[in-house]
Amino acid sequence: MSLYDKIQLEMKAQEPWPKDVRLFQPYEVEQILLPDNANCLAVQTFLKMCNLEYKVDPRPNAEAMSPTGKVPFIKCGAFIIAEMEPIVQFVGGKGITLTESMSMEDKADMRAYMTLVNNVLGNAEMYICWCDDETYREVTKARYGSIYPWPLNHIQVWTKRSEELKRLKVLGWQQKTLEEVYNDVETCCQALTDRLDKNDFFFGSKPTELEALIFGHLYTILTTPLPNSALADTVKNFPELINLIKRIEKTYFKRETNH
Amino acid sequence: MGIVHAKDLSESSKYQATKTIPKVNINYEECEETKELELNVPARVDKIHVEGLGRTKNDIVEDALKDIFTANTFQEVLHKTHTARQKLNSLSLFRNVSVHIDVSKGSKATKDGLEVTFQVKELKRVVGGVNTQIGNNNEGSLVVGLKAPNVFGRGERLQTEYSYGSRRSNNYSVNFIKPFMGKRNPVFTAGVYQHTSEWPSSGYKQLERGGLLDFGFNSHHLLKHNLQYDACIRDMGVISRNSSFDVREQSGSTLKSALRHILTIDLRDEPIFPSCGSLLQLTSEFAGVGGDVGFLKNDFYLQANYSLMEDFVLQGTLSGGFMHEIGDEKKINLCDMYYLGGPLSLRGFKTRGVGPQSDGDALGSLCYFSGGLHLYTPLPFRPGKGGFGELFRTHLFVNAGNVADTKSEDVVEQLKNNLRVSSGIGVAIRLGQMARVEINYCFPHKFEQDDRVQEGIQFGVGVQFV
Repeated sequence: MSLYDKIQLEMKAQEPWPKDVRLFQPYEVEQILLPDNANCLAVQTFLKMCNLEYKVDPRPNAEAMSPTGKVPFIKCGAFIIAEMEPIVQFVGGKGITLTESMSMEDKADMRAYMTLVNNVLGNAEMYICWCDDETYREVTKARYGSIYPWPLNHIQVWTKRSEELKRLKVLGWQQKTLEEVYNDVETCCQALTDRLDKNDFFFGSKPTELEALIFGHLYTILTTPLPNSALADTVKNFPELINLIKRIEKTYFKRETNH
Repeated sequence: MGIVHAKDLSESSKYQATKTIPKVNINYEECEETKELELNVPARVDKIHVEGLGRTKNDIVEDALKDIFTANTFQEVLHKTHTARQKLNSLSLFRNVSVHIDVSKGSKATKDGLEVTFQVKELKRVVGGVNTQIGNNNEGSLVVGLKAPNVFGRGERLQTEYSYGSRRSNNYSVNFIKPFMGKRNPVFTAGVYQHTSEWPSSGYKQLERGGLLDFGFNSHHLLKHNLQYDACIRDMGVISRNSSFDVREQSGSTLKSALRHILTIDLRDEPIFPSCGSLLQLTSEFAGVGGDVGFLKNDFYLQANYSLMEDFVLQGTLSGGFMHEIGDEKKINLCDMYYLGGPLSLRGFKTRGVGPQSDGDALGSLCYFSGGLHLYTPLPFRPGKGGFGELFRTHLFVNAGNVADTKSEDVVEQLKNNLRVSSGIGVAIRLGQMARVEINYCFPHKFEQDDRVQEGIQFGVGVQFV
């Protein structure tokens, strides 16, 4: 790409938010897995917090369509952007941000907490889906393979599992026991509760992408039926976080259903 | 056809390299007795000797040779011996087969008795080769081939091929081939393969992994049938971020499970630069026996050659295809569609340059036809006549073709309207008995605004040209 093209792209990226933005994700009812669902919900919450219009477009092959191989991704004009962080940056490029009034320190803090949530909650969800035998057998296998014909479903699940296990192994998660994973989640939630203290939001009086991310993960953990509810029970021990989630749900999602 | 061997690997040419029976050097002066034979004299074959058999089983050789005993005249003996020799060659058991016919001697010899001796040399247990290949996306690759001919003594062979490309494409195929005895030349093939391909003109790349079962036989002397079952997993992805969203929407894995029937009638004298005869190939494919890809596809390819005068050959070709969806449950992917344009199907247009597209990426159509009329002549002033020069031909050509959507009613009307036409002149070069290279200067005459034309020099490598 020549410099001219790049500049053109940059210029176009700064155009206002178009009306026909679509967010692509797997089918929520029969296909999506816990970690993907958390990420999709986080991005949706962020877009709602920014008051940006979008339409959810469920596709069985959303994962393969995504430029990074991960869901969700949005199509905004000619641009295709996948995953939370790049989407936040892209939206920021249009001058829309939730962190305008925040100091540099707070911003760095917020990023650190987002990394914590991604690392702990994200990996814990991955672990439950792919490493925990019971969940893998009863939930993951059927849901991930649901869009493929036999015998491709078994092949795809098996390939995906070995990929995810390899990734978790590199991160040092595969060796953990279920108990250790729950402990990590507990520690993470404790850290978040401590930071939140008695305030409504983490930073000031307005939610940021951190709240969007936390909402995505915790709401999904709390509402997804799994053979073992220990993960949801761990989260339920933190009433401050539960209240935060209820507030966000009421503000950004309940309104729609009332209409 | 995406890839062409720079080196001839075809079975037929390898094993039929010595088409004429080699002259046996006999010093007639040293012979005790010589006998002159008229071709139509009565003759009877008393004995057939086969020398040089090792691991090859007797029954398969007997089966190929027993017809010789039915000959009644010397002419028939010659004819049947020649047929038997060709049959032995086609079984790919031996590296070399030579025949020697003599009058029969000894106490049991009859009056018109003859003895036929076949001298054969068996192929080695394992043969292999390393060569290089250029695909049509300018990807060079290294090919390692390994073959175990005549594994169990009845012509069974195991072939493996592995190639590694400069763009990291990783292809392999393993095939087991088992010819059966009998009049109809039945051959059974089972294989697995992995194949990667990139289509910049359509903005996608794909990895195919699958297995193929093939049963080939002749229902008549010249009618060749192939019944195939093909199961294949295709992983499709976009080539770059700039690929059209319509292409991106089709990314992912699909499973094709298809039955295929191929009928071939080949009456040509040569596969690459024929001077007479015609070829008809009909392919029907039904995908949707399991899997999530479904269609019914019918293709034809027709080629006719007429020798006008010495070395001037007029060739007409016509190919076409028509496909249907079957039900809403099964998909048709980009890679299943027909594409028109490029040096193999419609010269003067870029590869996949005709038909529906989205952001410059060709999306394919459900129906197409293309035809060509060629006048082949040898090179001007005939350099290298009878030798090297025979690898070259100059040709004048006219191409025409069009695509249509089978979902709407008037397919014929669609094909008739906005017909694409081009013409040109060029040089064609034969690569072994398998493929040919063409360098043409093309003039597109009729085209639509969206078509990607290629006026001027066009280069093409392939197996089947229109």
